[in-house]
Amino acid sequence: MDKRNEPEAAAGERPKPLPRGYFEGESMTRRHAFTIAAQGIGGLAGAAIVLPAVGFAIAPIFERGKERWEAVGPLDDFVEDTYRQVVFTETQGIGDAGKTTAYVRKGSKQLGEDPREIIAVSNRCAHLGCPVRFVEAAGNFICPCHGGVYDFVGKVIGGPPVRPLDRFQTRIRNGQVELGPRYSVTSQLEPVRARDPGEFTGGIWEYLYPPRPSTFPPPSG
Amino acid sequence: MKAKDKQAYLEEYEFLKKKGKPFFPYAVMKDSTMALIVVGVIIAMSIILGAEQGPKADPTTTTYVPRPEWYFFFLFELLRVIKPPELVPVATIGIPTICMVLLLLLPFYDRGPERHPGRRPIATTAGCLTIVAMAYLTYLGAIGGSPTEIEMKVPPQYEAGKEVVAGSGCLACHKIGENGGDLGPDLTHIGSQLPRAAIIRSVEIGPAEMPAFRDLPPKKLNQLSDFLASLD
Amino acid sequence: MKLDSLIPAPLRKPAKPGEGNGSKNAAPADLKTSPPERPSDTERLTDKAKDAPADVLAWVDQRTAASGFLTGMLYRKVPKGTNWFYTLGSAALFAFIVQAVTGVFLAMFYTPSPTEAYASISHINNDVFLGQFVHGMHKWGSSLMVILIFLHMGRTFFFGAYKYPRELNWVIGVVLLILTMTMAFTGYLLPFDQRSFWASVVGININGTGPVVGPYLSDFLRAGPELGATTLSRFYAIHMLLLPGAIIALIGAHLYLVVKLGTTAPPWVRAEKPKIAAPVSQLDAGAEGNGAPPPR
Repeated sequence: MDKRNEPEAAAGERPKPLPRGYFEGESMTRRHAFTIAAQGIGGLAGAAIVLPAVGFAIAPIFERGKERWEAVGPLDDFVEDTYRQVVFTETQGIGDAGKTTAYVRKGSKQLGEDPREIIAVSNRCAHLGCPVRFVEAAGNFICPCHGGVYDFVGKVIGGPPVRPLDRFQTRIRNGQVELGPRYSVTSQLEPVRARDPGEFTGGIWEYLYPPRPSTFPPPSG
Repeated sequence: MKAKDKQAYLEEYEFLKKKGKPFFPYAVMKDSTMALIVVGVIIAMSIILGAEQGPKADPTTTTYVPRPEWYFFFLFELLRVIKPPELVPVATIGIPTICMVLLLLLPFYDRGPERHPGRRPIATTAGCLTIVAMAYLTYLGAIGGSPTEIEMKVPPQYEAGKEVVAGSGCLACHKIGENGGDLGPDLTHIGSQLPRAAIIRSVEIGPAEMPAFRDLPPKKLNQLSDFLASLD
Repeated sequence: MKLDSLIPAPLRKPAKPGEGNGSKNAAPADLKTSPPERPSDTERLTDKAKDAPADVLAWVDQRTAASGFLTGMLYRKVPKGTNWFYTLGSAALFAFIVQAVTGVFLAMFYTPSPTEAYASISHINNDVFLGQFVHGMHKWGSSLMVILIFLHMGRTFFFGAYKYPRELNWVIGVVLLILTMTMAFTGYLLPFDQRSFWASVVGININGTGPVVGPYLSDFLRAGPELGATTLSRFYAIHMLLLPGAIIALIGAHLYLVVKLGTTAPPWVRAEKPKIAAPVSQLDAGAEGNGAPPPR
C-alpha cells in the first residue's frame, strides 16, 4: 500500500499528487509510522486524562451504602386499619435533607396479611417521585403532581404510576419497630430490588430497567 | 436542494450582500439597542419580582404540591395528560427525544430551496401548530391546580363527602367546579344528571376506562355519593 | 489623530518588523513625519502620551494581525433587508453574558452543600449588599434567555434560514438550546427550597425512565441511589463548569459560522436583478467570472 503511494515507484505512470506537507526525501513508510504514532500517543494522553475523571464521576453508581436500621416507635403505636406517618433518616450525613416519610401499619388479617408483620409504605410516588399523601377519609394515597392514586395497600387504582408504592424493610427489636432499606414491589406486591420511580417491575421491564448495584437486595419471603 | 438551486442561492445572496450595509455600526446599533432592552427587562424583573426564597427543601413533606419552572410546564402537562402507565416512558423520554431529534435534523429532511414562509405551507403550518400546542400545554400546566383539593363551597353536611372525593383522586380525570381534569365527564352538575343509586353503581363498577373503587368502605361511599348527588 | 488613521487597518500597511519593535517612540513607518521645528519637552511628552494607545494597539496588531480579522468582521456587509428580528440571536447571547457575570458573583457567596445551601441563599438575599438584586437578575435572566432562544429559533425556522449552506449552524443552535435547558434544570436545584428540590427529584426520575441506561444515569446524577451529600455539588459543578464551558465553545462555533456564511436576508427580499441593466445571461456570466464563493 505504502509502496504504491511512493512517487518514485510509479515510474512510467502519471505520478500521483504528493500528500500535503510532503518534503523531499521523506519516505512514505516513515510518514505512515509517524501518523500512527502521533494519533496513538495523543490518544493515550487523552485517555489518561479522561478515563480516571469519568471513573471518578461514575463510581457512585457501583457503590452501596451501609445497611442501616432506625427505630421509629414502639410496636403498640401502630394499628392495622390505618397508617401512622413516621419520619426517619434514609441518607446519612446531610441532616434534614436525608430524611424521608413512611406510612407504617400492622399487617391486616382482613387483607390476608400476616398480623405479625409491619408494613411500611414509602411516600414517594412510583410515577416520578413526588410526595404522596395518605388521605384518611378515602383510605387512598394521592399524588399531587400528575394525579396518581393508590389504594390502601399501595396498589395503583388510577393515574399514570407504573407500579405500587415502594416499601421499606421492617423488623421488631426490643419492642421497637425498625425500618431498613427501601425495596420495590410488583403489581402482586412481591418484593424486588428497589427501583427508581417511573420504572416498571416485572415482565420485559426487568431487562429494560436493569437492577442498580447501589440498591439492596429485596427481603426474602 | 439541487446543485443548481444552491448555486442560485449563493449568487442571489452575494448580490443582496453587496447591496447591504456594513455590520458595524448599522447592525451593531440594533444589536446594542436590543441588549439594552434585555438588560433593562432583566433589571426591572429583578426589582419588581425579586428572588423570594421558598420554604426549605423538605423530603418528608406530604402536603407540598410540586410544580416546575414555567418553561417546563408543557412537559409537566404532557406527563399529566398521558394517563396509561404503559405509556409513561413514552411521555417522559419518548416524545421529548423524538421532538429533539426532529428539531436537530430539520435541515436534513426539509431540503427544498424555498425559504419564504408563505410558500412553505407544510413547514409553516407545522411550526405554527407546534407553537400553539406548546403554548396550550404551558397554559394548562400553569392553571393545573392540585388534584387533591376542591375549592367549591358546600353545605357542612357534605364536607365529609367532598373530602372523600378529593382524596380519592377523582379530580385526576373529572372536573368539579373549578378543579380537576377533563379526561372523564364533568361532575359539576352530576346530581341533576344521575340518581344517587347510579352514582354508587358507577363508583363500584368503574364504567369504561374508570377504575372501580370497590374497596371504598361503605361509610365513605355513602358520604361520597351524598356529596355528588347534591351537585346540581 | 493616529488612532483614527489606524483603525481601518487593511487600508494601510502595518509597520515593517524591526522598525516598530517595542520601543515607545517608534511609530509605524507611514505615520512618521519629520518635525519642522524642535518642540518643547512638555509638547513632546504630551504627544507621546497621546500616541501611547495607538502605539500599544500597533504593537499588538503587528504581532497578532488581529486588525485585519476584526475589520473584516466588523465591516462585512449584512444583506439588504436585515431587520429587528435579526437582533434576537445577539440578545440571547447578551442574556447569556448577564447569566455568566451574575453567576460568577453568586458563586462567591453560595455553598453547594445540602445542609448549608439554603442558608447561603438566605444570606445572599438578606445580608449581602445588592444580593437579592443580583440573585433576581440571575433568576429572571434565565427565563428571558430561554424565551430569547426560542424566539431566535422561531425566526430562523420561519425565515428558512436553516437551509443550505447553514444546516450545521442550525444543528449547533439546537444543541445550544438543549444545553441551555439542561443549564436551567441543573441551576434549579441550587437554591434548595421546596420548589427546586421536588422539581429536581422529578427531573432526575424522568431521566431514569430511559431504557437500559436510565437507572444508571439517575444514579450518576444523584451520585448514589438517593439524593445525597454530593448531589448538590455535582449539580453545581455541572451548572457552573461543565455546561458553561460547552456553551461558550459552541457559541464560538455558532458565531464563527455566522461570520463565515453571513446572516440571511429575509426571504421576501429579492435581489432586483432585472433592474440592473445587463440581461440575465450576462449577469450570470459575470457572477461566474467573479467566482461566487464556493460552498465551503
